[in-house]
Amino acid sequence: MKIYVYGIIDSNKQVDEPVYGLEKARVYNIPFRDIGVVASDLTGLMPDVTEDNILAHEDVVESLMENFTVLPVKFLTVFDAKENILSMMGDYYTDFKDNLNRLRNKVEFGIKVIWPAEKIKEHITSCYWKSGWKEAVSDDSPIKRFIREKFEKYKIDKEFTEKANRLVTTIDIFLGKSAAEKKLEKLKTENLLLDGVYLVEKDKQSNFKEAFEHIRSARTDLRYLFSGPWPPYNFVILPRKYCQLRDSGRADISDKVIQHQGLVGADAI
Amino acid sequence: MTINRIVETDFPEDFVEEIEKLQDALPRRIDANPKNVEKGLAKLVLTLIELIRKLLEKQAMRRVEAGSLSEEEIERVGETLMKLENKVRELKEIFGLKNEELNINLGPLGDLM
Amino acid sequence: MDNVLTKSKDVTLLEVLDRVLEKGVVISGDMVISVADVDLIYLGLKVLLSSVETMERLRGSPFASPMQEPT
Repeated sequence: MKIYVYGIIDSNKQVDEPVYGLEKARVYNIPFRDIGVVASDLTGLMPDVTEDNILAHEDVVESLMENFTVLPVKFLTVFDAKENILSMMGDYYTDFKDNLNRLRNKVEFGIKVIWPAEKIKEHITSCYWKSGWKEAVSDDSPIKRFIREKFEKYKIDKEFTEKANRLVTTIDIFLGKSAAEKKLEKLKTENLLLDGVYLVEKDKQSNFKEAFEHIRSARTDLRYLFSGPWPPYNFVILPRKYCQLRDSGRADISDKVIQHQGLVGADAI
Repeated sequence: MTINRIVETDFPEDFVEEIEKLQDALPRRIDANPKNVEKGLAKLVLTLIELIRKLLEKQAMRRVEAGSLSEEEIERVGETLMKLENKVRELKEIFGLKNEELNINLGPLGDLM
Repeated sequence: MDNVLTKSKDVTLLEVLDRVLEKGVVISGDMVISVADVDLIYLGLKVLLSSVETMERLRGSPFASPMQEPT
């Protein structure tokens, strides 16, 4: 029998209302000093990555959000025994405490924005040809023509990226006002202008949503995806204490890892 | 047990498409299987060459933009870049590698290129 | 009609998956699922170094054509 872990919470008390997780097992809190690890028992094999299991996991984490600050743990985090969990907590206690304090009463929102990359590039290209940059390189040899093509592409890409930066900055000016922290990724694909996550205080949630609605109605040429409130998946900061080396001949370090982190999942996979 | 999450969009298909593009990227891991060591080696070397080639190209473009290259210099730089591009293309064919494979995923640092 | 509903479900699942599979706190040794980052480069470099050595020994050049037989 193994133990499946969902998250770390800022409480060492028992979970009041019955909450059920994977294998429909009852979820309980393993206390460690003034915090705890929320877990359930696994009787079967390592769970599969199925929609049901994923949602069961996420549902547990979200129900904890109601009453606690929770540091959500990766799907399929499994330990052999309670001792391993307690040992792990010993190593990470300070890091977890710091995170719990920083993230108390805060939730995460995700904003994704799509823009019409093709159209924008076309527009930039036509501006490029009108602006006379084509004179920068003459075309009187195959090599010059090669450079000219490269240069055109370079100028267009550059303007495209700069436009993206400006637009994301504008959007962020509004959203950032009600956020404590944020992480923004621009142009993950040409069309995905922004993939952003914002950490927002619970009592500023409506301000944040208002800011989003404002942008949405102001820029109807863009497409939006709004998600949340989530537990702070993107905002837990943990130092990497050990290099995770497996089968690389670094037995000395591997042993240390096994000792300190109750390495178990690896064998079951 | 209340479920909090809302995921709200007027264009779910568009977002599914873009997110899937990100997940579709060919595996960019270095293959440590001894049987594929040569191809893995070629991949690693060509990835680094591509990185350098792209940096050289970008640098050249910046100089063209700034107008700091003479006609002759443009000709020489152009010839080098052309030859380099052709050589890499040749090597990719020899080792059966595609463009998307010439990248390394650095985990939290993202992709090399 | 059906398609939009399916896609809405998909998008929700994709958002959950991204968080639960990629972003959750990693505290156990399940690095095997998502073989990590720096370590992979370490592994790759180790392979690179040992194979360069082997190739040099066998063929006298690190970039010999793959078709050559070892002498």
